[in-house]
Amino acid sequence: MLDLISLVLVVAVKVFKKTTPNGKVTVYLGKRDFIDHVDYCDPVDGVVVVDTEYLKGRKVYSQLVTTYRYGREEDEVMGVKFSKEMVIGQEQVVPLVNSKMELTPVQEKLLKKLGPNAYPFTFNFPEMAPSSVTLQPAEEDQGKPMGVDYSVRTYVAEQEDQKSHKRSSVTLAIKKLQHAPITRGRRLPSSLVSKGFTFSNGKINLEVTLDREIYYHGEKIAANVIVSNNSRKSVRNIRCMVVQHVEITMINSQFSRHVASLESREGCPVTPGASLSKTFYMVPLARNSKDVRGVALDGHLKEDDVNLASSTLVAEGKCPADAIGIVVSYSVRVKLNCGTLGGELVTDVPFKLLHPAEGTVERQRFNAMKKMQSIERHRYENTLYTNEEEDNIVFEDFARLRMNEPE
Amino acid sequence: MALNFTQEISDIGPMAYPLKMVSREMVEHMLGWNIPEEHQDLVHEHWRNFPSVSKYWHYCLALIYAMLMVTSLVGNGIVIWIFGTSKSLRSASNMFVINLAIFDLMMMLEMPLLIINSFYQRLVGYQLGCDIYAVLGSLSGIGGAITNAVIAFDRYKTISCPLDGRINKVQASLLIAFTWFWALPFTILPAFRIWGRYVPEGFLTTCSFDYFTDDQDTKVFVACIFVWSYCIPMTLICYFYSQLFGAVRLHERMLQEQAKKMNVKSLAANKEDASRSVEIRIAKVAFTIFFLFVCAWTPYAFVTMTGAFGDRNLLTPIATMVPAVCCKVVSCIDPWVYAINHPRYRAELTKRLPWLGVRESDPDAVSTTTSVGTAQSQATAEA
Repeated sequence: MLDLISLVLVVAVKVFKKTTPNGKVTVYLGKRDFIDHVDYCDPVDGVVVVDTEYLKGRKVYSQLVTTYRYGREEDEVMGVKFSKEMVIGQEQVVPLVNSKMELTPVQEKLLKKLGPNAYPFTFNFPEMAPSSVTLQPAEEDQGKPMGVDYSVRTYVAEQEDQKSHKRSSVTLAIKKLQHAPITRGRRLPSSLVSKGFTFSNGKINLEVTLDREIYYHGEKIAANVIVSNNSRKSVRNIRCMVVQHVEITMINSQFSRHVASLESREGCPVTPGASLSKTFYMVPLARNSKDVRGVALDGHLKEDDVNLASSTLVAEGKCPADAIGIVVSYSVRVKLNCGTLGGELVTDVPFKLLHPAEGTVERQRFNAMKKMQSIERHRYENTLYTNEEEDNIVFEDFARLRMNEPE
Repeated sequence: MALNFTQEISDIGPMAYPLKMVSREMVEHMLGWNIPEEHQDLVHEHWRNFPSVSKYWHYCLALIYAMLMVTSLVGNGIVIWIFGTSKSLRSASNMFVINLAIFDLMMMLEMPLLIINSFYQRLVGYQLGCDIYAVLGSLSGIGGAITNAVIAFDRYKTISCPLDGRINKVQASLLIAFTWFWALPFTILPAFRIWGRYVPEGFLTTCSFDYFTDDQDTKVFVACIFVWSYCIPMTLICYFYSQLFGAVRLHERMLQEQAKKMNVKSLAANKEDASRSVEIRIAKVAFTIFFLFVCAWTPYAFVTMTGAFGDRNLLTPIATMVPAVCCKVVSCIDPWVYAINHPRYRAELTKRLPWLGVRESDPDAVSTTTSVGTAQSQATAEA
């Protein structure tokens, strides 16, 4: 768990801090969410404060670690481990190796504030590093959830590869996320399919068009469905759903989950010769599929306002198949039920689901909305559990939102 | 033949008494002499060619079985007790381990019968005793063999597709029912003498299905049971573990590729060695299980196949007792192989029976780095 402290600086900047169990080393991070802008990624910038007398010639190291977990802990048999830890960045922080290091504004402020015992460190995510994703566990699942996560681990040791001691090491969980590009594009994704029948002439045509290519989390998706029936069968009903496709590249397996769905008989049956044009509205939300195992989520489970995982974006010129970690994509799937003998006509229209980019109008609106939700929830929780000291989580959220605000 | 001999002698009249005494001596040295006439049909001609086994052999066998009985009772009993009563161990995969322990315990039930038989130096209960003994042996032997294959299947499923591959409890129950049905035909058919029958073998204190009678029926029966309870389970075990090994290798390779893409250099320092040994570890465990299966059932398969199709002179009483002991030894080792290397089971064991000296920290509290260490020590224990 990240301890949170608000340092009163000249400009009110929220900073995360965590101290080792023995209280000798403290790590400060400017933020917990690091955004991958596809062409570049926020560096992980932090500061370590250490009691130099305590070190007695030992050194302080910091690591950026990613952990893949692709199976449940309790299923680990025969000594197989379903998790893999990879150190993607390692640095000696104390004593400072590279004194000409470029400092980020947060680091400069922190160094000024924290005095001579503060040492900066910076990690850059590897170009290919996957985004943080958590797969929702089933209720009965124990142990750590599956997914990709990142953490910054700081420890005291005499040498880099020496084993660290629990009391003198500290781990901060961070997230690497992707945000939507600043412009959403003008392309409207659509799909046109038709279905013929073995024993009768004519076809049923289905055209599905979405009103956007990129949606922000919480936005309503409008799928315009046009059915024109030139066959002798009739369409009984229409099912429309938002499908989340999850590809777990490390074990070469994929699955999909429905994160929103609705069924309609309005205007049905679409009899031979008739046609139907209708718009379906859906909002894919994490809280609507809370009990579905394996739904990919952005980030931590402790948080109540967790959202569905964002679509994985791949840099231009890179093949989507090269993406590693957990690859998430979305599509709207429309199914026409043509009766028991007619079968189904199905089509998928892909779209992207992301957070709005920093600094856009949508982002501000999004933040305001979230903040409102958070305040509401806070009030709600306070009325419910007045005596509980457990408002920790809400406090974290609250701080997170403040952080996202443009300074 | 020996019997005919005695009868011949007794026909000669009182004059031949001394001769009869001598021949009695001789008869006493033939196997099956102490079985009353009405049950003589239980003993196949083949055994009558061998001198009766010394009582010391009987006592020795009884001693071995007594030791095995205690080991099996303790090992399998603790497995059933802990897996059955602790919540953290109630998973579909563990149901198979319990099932195996039940089969092994059933095999253990044979042992007191043998110990009693050994002291009488003959079969107690004749046909009925023989049937009970053989039914227990056949049910537990075939059931255990196929449970081994089912466990291999379950492990293959969980490891090759860790997300959705898991077997749920309903499927697990069905598979367990399947193991019992698998064991039933070759247990019931001989018991009711529909096909094959149960006869004493070896020292004539143990029983198994008949593989000596020289007719088409018995030969086909032996061939079928050989395929059913030996070849098929072994093929399945080999297949699933090799598939599992392939899946693990694939995962490791893909992870390494991903690590390479991210320029993970420090992976080489300590993690690569650990990851390389994952494959070796899996191979070791899989081979141990396969080897145990081979040890348990190959001697038996050899004896029965020789009895039905090969040179019977090889099958001396002592030689035929070896396979029986082999499969009993393995039924005692099974719980240790399957359960003791289970981290949660060990943790539970530490909690409940601290005097056993199994030291295992709570798996939930173990961090990634340390758990690699424990897994390795388990692997060495398994090997």
